[in-house]
This record gives sequence, structure tokens and C-alpha cells, in this order.
Amino acid sequence: MSNYSAKSGADNIYQPSLARIVRILPQIKDHRLFELRFEDPEMRRSFTYNPGQFVELSVIGTGEAPVSISSSPTRPGVLELCVRKIGRVTEALFRLPLNSVVGLRGPYGNGFPVEAMERNNLLIVAGGLGMAPLRSLLWYVLDNRSKFKEIILMFGAKISEEMLFKFELLSLLDRTDMKCLLTVDKDEEGTWPVQVGVVTRLFDFVEIDPEITYAIVCGPPIMYKFVLEKLLERNLPKDRILMSLERRMKCGVGKCGHCSVGYKYTCIDGPIFTYWDAINLPEMI
Amino acid sequence: MQIVKLPKENLDKFVGSLSKFGEIHAPIKKDENTYLFSKIEDLSKIELNYNRTILPPKKYFLPPTETIFRFSPEKGYEPPKDNLNRKYVLLGVHSCDIHGLKILDLVFSGTYVDNYYFTRRKNTSIIGVSCIPDDMCFCRSMETDFVEDGFDLFLSDMDDSYLVRIATSLGDDMVRASQSLFKEVDKEDIAEYKRKSNEMKNYFKIGLELYNLPEIMDLEYESKIWGEMGEKCLSCGTCSMVCPTCYCYDVFDELNLDGKTGERRRRWDSCLFKDHALVAGGLNFRKERSSRVKNRYFHKQRGFVAQYGRPSCVGCGRCIQSCPAKVDIVEVITKIRSVDYE
Amino acid sequence: MAKPKVGIFGITGCAGEQIVILNCEDQLMDILKILDIRSFHTALSENDEKCDLDIAFVEGAVVQPEEEILLKEIRKRSRLLIALGTCAVWGGVAAMKNEVSRERLKDEIYGPAGKIFESIPAQPLCSFVKVDFSISGCPIEKEQFLQAVASLVHGDIPILPKYAVCTECKTNENTCLLLEKGGLCLGPITVGGCDARCLSYSIPCSGCRGPVEEANVASEVEILKEKGFTLGDVHNQLRTFAAPAEALQTYFAKRGRE
Repeated sequence: MSNYSAKSGADNIYQPSLARIVRILPQIKDHRLFELRFEDPEMRRSFTYNPGQFVELSVIGTGEAPVSISSSPTRPGVLELCVRKIGRVTEALFRLPLNSVVGLRGPYGNGFPVEAMERNNLLIVAGGLGMAPLRSLLWYVLDNRSKFKEIILMFGAKISEEMLFKFELLSLLDRTDMKCLLTVDKDEEGTWPVQVGVVTRLFDFVEIDPEITYAIVCGPPIMYKFVLEKLLERNLPKDRILMSLERRMKCGVGKCGHCSVGYKYTCIDGPIFTYWDAINLPEMI
Repeated sequence: MQIVKLPKENLDKFVGSLSKFGEIHAPIKKDENTYLFSKIEDLSKIELNYNRTILPPKKYFLPPTETIFRFSPEKGYEPPKDNLNRKYVLLGVHSCDIHGLKILDLVFSGTYVDNYYFTRRKNTSIIGVSCIPDDMCFCRSMETDFVEDGFDLFLSDMDDSYLVRIATSLGDDMVRASQSLFKEVDKEDIAEYKRKSNEMKNYFKIGLELYNLPEIMDLEYESKIWGEMGEKCLSCGTCSMVCPTCYCYDVFDELNLDGKTGERRRRWDSCLFKDHALVAGGLNFRKERSSRVKNRYFHKQRGFVAQYGRPSCVGCGRCIQSCPAKVDIVEVITKIRSVDYE
Repeated sequence: MAKPKVGIFGITGCAGEQIVILNCEDQLMDILKILDIRSFHTALSENDEKCDLDIAFVEGAVVQPEEEILLKEIRKRSRLLIALGTCAVWGGVAAMKNEVSRERLKDEIYGPAGKIFESIPAQPLCSFVKVDFSISGCPIEKEQFLQAVASLVHGDIPILPKYAVCTECKTNENTCLLLEKGGLCLGPITVGGCDARCLSYSIPCSGCRGPVEEANVASEVEILKEKGFTLGDVHNQLRTFAAPAEALQTYFAKRGRE
């Protein structure tokens, strides 16, 4: 009998490929943007993904954790992960110097239904680290601007110092082909140039045509309740409200059971769910 | 399906002949009332009249713990060079457990195929055996008391002989390799088989009603029963370990003292453990024990139906037998279904 | 990278954990390659009592005021403090009779000699200082210690199983001593990691590794009572290793001892 070793590469669904950290951009406190490049040139070419998907990132010797992709597939060759230092693996990642090698597998999850969203208005609502997966979508739609109708971004952070991708997003304020609304809950020094208040207040500044709008929401659990209320008030159909969920996506491929919500797995059925899914899946939000 | 007869006096010879098809594993008696699947060195140790083994056959395909990679900074993650291709013959598997494996097959296949599981699966032949239910079996109500496929051979006990269903080409090879041990099925055998078959339903002492169960569970989502179960449940993980269809596993890296190399391992997990749905940063989506108990029942009896068209419980009775707190799935479902229960 | 400076300390206990460390014979040289052990009274003749430490492993429970002072000093010196063994994590056997007054115990055990030292009810380390990580066990498992050392040196907080002894007992396919043999087994509420060693030798779990997180003591007691044990029997077993544990304290405070 032959000596078998479980197949590697594409045949082994758990096989991480090695990738190098080629850039580390500090963001707000405890958040960094890591740019990664696969060691294998073939992987570099073939790796593609949808906005809203995630990868499983391994720090060698520490473990593996799911991280959403923050870059857009419209910028080939660039793979960026915005990571918050919050657990064992991310703490270890933050200790790694530039040029270190990590393990990566994916992309996983359904991602946003970008094709169905074409020819529609998009209302992107983000809170806190929720901007990490939505940045991928944002740049995807801006790079494919002609395919979408109106684009509105609403993003709220507690204070200016806690706004992810602040300068990148502030630069969108001047764009005439989209509406960028950025708010901070508090602005004690009075230096914030635009809106102040919770993200739901931004709804006062927009018109929403529920017939042709997709709303995309991602943020801390507490935010969903209030944003959903606003969207329902504006008669947005429940199956056109898209949300990106966080669960313990350990295997990423629908086997290990940790990210189950009702009878769905966040890792393969999500992480993008509609509000209609959520109503039918207890415990989802 | 081809069916032949194996007189019981030929059983040992036949089983002995199977060793050329793989290492033979079968139920043996562990204690007064406990059995387990084990490697067979001595054919006389095989116990084909057993109620249930402590662990189901899933242990052969998804071992309680296994190394999935060895890692080093230089080479990254390499699958171990274990011999997953070893051939096994798993003899004496009950119908419910064969259904259990078919359910695991659903989970480990799909878009992402788990090769660790399926390589072992491919290399293991399954020989089923009929059984008489005890007072914890409810396979009939879970529609797993009979099995049509998922085995190579299936032995139905006819007192003096076994009727042997041949389900696969490999099964046929096994029979042909010892052709002289088998006889043709005659008219009396058919009559006896039917008699036994018709009697079977009388043996069942418990059962649960599947009709409308998913909807009833949705309606009883807020039932106080989940709280009651949460009070009793110890979160000890026993039910998940012994369940033929529980497949949750945990993954962890074990680092060697050199601080560089090590192993990525997985091990059976349970949705009843407190940290099962915990995410980095401390948010726990099923913090309360009652919500974890509820999740387990919903996943098995409701969620799996939505996903795969049948519950993922096969009625083997292992959880009833081994729960220290006597949480009894049949009792729970019966209570939920009961009109008087509020 | 400089090797982390380490101290291994023992207060009131049997030195069992320190013996386990010394029994890692095949790994001792590797351990010395990665740890700079500055203090280890059981094994070293020269100990640095003052230097800053990266990791302090502390075995034993606190039963004297001096030990509290010593522990707090260790805490001040060390970046990480790891509780080693059931005594350090849960109070251990020294806490078994915590409800009896120290004066009476001293008198009964030591007679007049008891007058010359002070004694306080035995408490785990976490009652006095912040504990960064706990490795329980009576004694600790060698493999868990080595795993923890590797992780700590790598910069990670170790991960040890949090599940109950039952989990491993089942995967080992032991006959259930509680259900099938009516043994006073604490497996369902005791934290695993020992590979259910005792159970595999047909000895019921005595709870030596301390309770699991969120231990359901009430349910365990009900089960044992049904098996014919009195609350007193169960209480005696439960307090043997982890009397100060909150789950036990809360339960018995509520129930009295019937």
C-alpha cells in the first residue's frame, strides 16, 4: 500500500499557502492594514475574490483566524487585510515584522451579490471596523462606477481618531459621482469637518428610492438594530438589505460547525446575509 | 440486490477471509453492557449481538484528534505522511450507524471536500449487521432502521444463518472469494425473513414523531423547556462525542519547544461547550447553556432538515444512554410536541 | 531574541508541579535552550531573588501571611504570572477545611508548636494577585506544561482544553463509572486535559483538576444523589481539591449541607 499524504494545494481544503507581509500601514489604534503577497507566483496570479469575502490567516506557531478582505478585486495583485488586534492570532500578527511569512487560504464566503446589485442605487452603511469588508465593496463599485446608479456611503465612528481609512474616505467628499457622509459621535475639539452624531442621523440627508436600492450594512451588533429601523422606515425590501456578519469561522469551509447560525454557516452561506435571512434565522442579529 | 445465505457455522471462516480486504474491525465487549469497535486479533472476540458501541464508527473517519498539518517557517504547512490509504473492513455496523456515516458524508462533501475524511471513507469497506432494538433505540421513528446503501454487505440475522445483501462490487468480491461458504436463499428463508421483518416494529419501546416537527420547533423556539434543559445539562460534551452525526471540531496549533515547528491538529468539539460560539474580543453568541442546548436540538431536528431534507439524528440511543444528567432527546421532543406542555 | 527570564516558585503545596518539570528529562535541555531560569529553589543552588522576570511559574496555595507578601513580590517582578497546579489555581487540598477556624486546626495538628506561626485559610493565587494563565492539575500534565512553555516563549497565551473530563473519557471509550457503575465521579464538572487517566484505570474522577468553567454543580449533585450518595459525600469529594471555587461556594452557600 502506498504511503499517502493528504493532498496539498487545491485538493486539501485546509492547506494554507505562504504569503509575505509586504506592507504594514498603521491605521487607528490597534488597527493595521496588512498588504500580503503570495510566495507562489501562480497563486499571485490566480487568487481572485469578491468584495465581502474573507480569508483564513495563519500566524505560524500561533494559529488561524478569519479576516475579511479590505482591498478590491478591481486592483489585481493587491491583497489587503485590515486587522484589529483583538485575539491571540491578531496579537501575534501585530508582532511580526515586515517581510514575515504567514499562511493564507481562501477566499471564503459568498461575498456581496455584486452582479445583482448592478443598475441599482447603493446605500453603504458602516460603523467602526465594519468599514473593513465594506471598503472592498466601496472601491469595487467606484472602480466600476458606470455599472451602478447612485452611491451613498454613510460611515460613523465614535471620534475622529477612531475612524478607519479616514483620509482615504475624506478624499471622497469631493467626488460628485457619489455621496460620502462621514460622522463622528463626538467632536469635543470642534475640528471634525463634516457631520457629528450617530450614523442613523445621516439618514436625514438622503433620499432613498426603495424600488432600486440595495442597502449594505456592517458594524457592531448594536448598530444593526437602529440602522435596520431606519431602512425599514424607508420601505426598503428586507431582501435588499445586506449585512456582513461576524462569527467564529474556524474552518471557513462549512465543516467545523463553529459559525453556525440557525441552520446556516456564516462561512459558506454568508458572511453576507439579507435581513430576510436574519428574520428567518434566530440568533442572527 | 443480490442476496445470499451464510450459515452461522461459516461466519468465522468468512470473517477470517476478509483480512485480505483490509484490517478487520468489529464490535467487541468492553464491559457488562458496553461495546466498542476495535481491531480484531481473535475472531472469537467479535460480538455481533450488541446494542450499541460507546463511540460510533465516525471515529474511523474523523478521529477524535488528528494532525492535519506539520508546520515550519521554511516549509509552511505540510500534511502529515500518515497512511490514510490503509484498508479497513468495518464489520457489524448497525443500520442507524450506516445512516450516520451517510449524514457525515453530506457534511464533508459539497463544494469543499474534506480529503482526510473521504480518503479514509474510500478505503474502508462496511459490512452491516441487523439488530434487535433495545429500550433506547428509536431508529424506526428516524427512518434509519433500514438501509439501502452505504455498505458493501449487510448481514441479516436469521438465527441459524445470515441473509447477506450484496450492495457493491467490492462486496461481491468478498463473497466470491469464499463462495463455498455461501448458500442460495430458499423459500423457507424468504418466509422467515418476512416473519422477522414484520415482527420488528414490536420491539420498539420509544420513538418520536417527525411529522411537522421543524414547524413545531419553530413555534416552540421560546419554550421554557430550553431553560429546563439548560439547568440539567452539564456541558460535559458526552452527547456530542458519542453522537454518530456530531461533526464539530476544534482546530489548534501545537508548537514544539524550538518555537518554530509544530503541528496543526483538530479534535472533536461540542456546541455545548461554552466557548463554541465565542469570537475574538469576547463576544459569545451562545453564552447561556440553555441557548446551547437549544441550538443542538435545533440543528439536529430542524436546521439539518432545512439544509439536507432530513434530521441529522439517527435514533441510535447513544446520547440517551450516556448523558449523565439523563437529558433524553425522545422525552424532550415528546414534551415539545405535547399539547398540554406550556 | 533574548531568552525570557523565568522564575519557578513554590509556596504551600507538595512541590509536585516542580517535580513534574524536573521529570521532563527528555526536554530539559531544550527548555534550558529557550528559558533563562533565574530562580528555581528546588533545582538551582544559586537563585537570583531580585531580578525582573518575564515569566513566573508559581506552585502552591497561600496559607500564611508571608506567602502573600512573597507572592506579591513575585508579581511585581514578573511580566507574566502563571499559576501552576491545582493548589495555585483552586486552593487545592490545603483549602479542604477552610470552614474550620485556623486556630482550632493549628491546635489539633501542631499542639503548642502551632502557636509560633500564623496561618490563614488557604486561597488560590488569584485571590491576591492577577494571574495571567492557569495550568491546573494535581499534579500538572507534563505535556500541558511543555505546550504552555512553547506558546509563552513564542509570545502567545497558551491554549489548554476547557472541556470536562467526560469528553476525553468518552473518546477513550471507557465504560461510564458514574452511570454504569454508580461511582462518585466528578468527571462531568471537572476540567479535562488529563486524558481521563484515572477513569481509564476504572477509578472515578476525584476532581483533582478543579471545576470546568460554569460548572453545573446542582445538576451533578442531583445525579449523585440519585445514585445513592448523600450531599455530605458529594461535598466531601468536591471540597477536596477546589473548595474556594466560586461554583462550589455558591452552590453550598445556597444549599447549606442538609
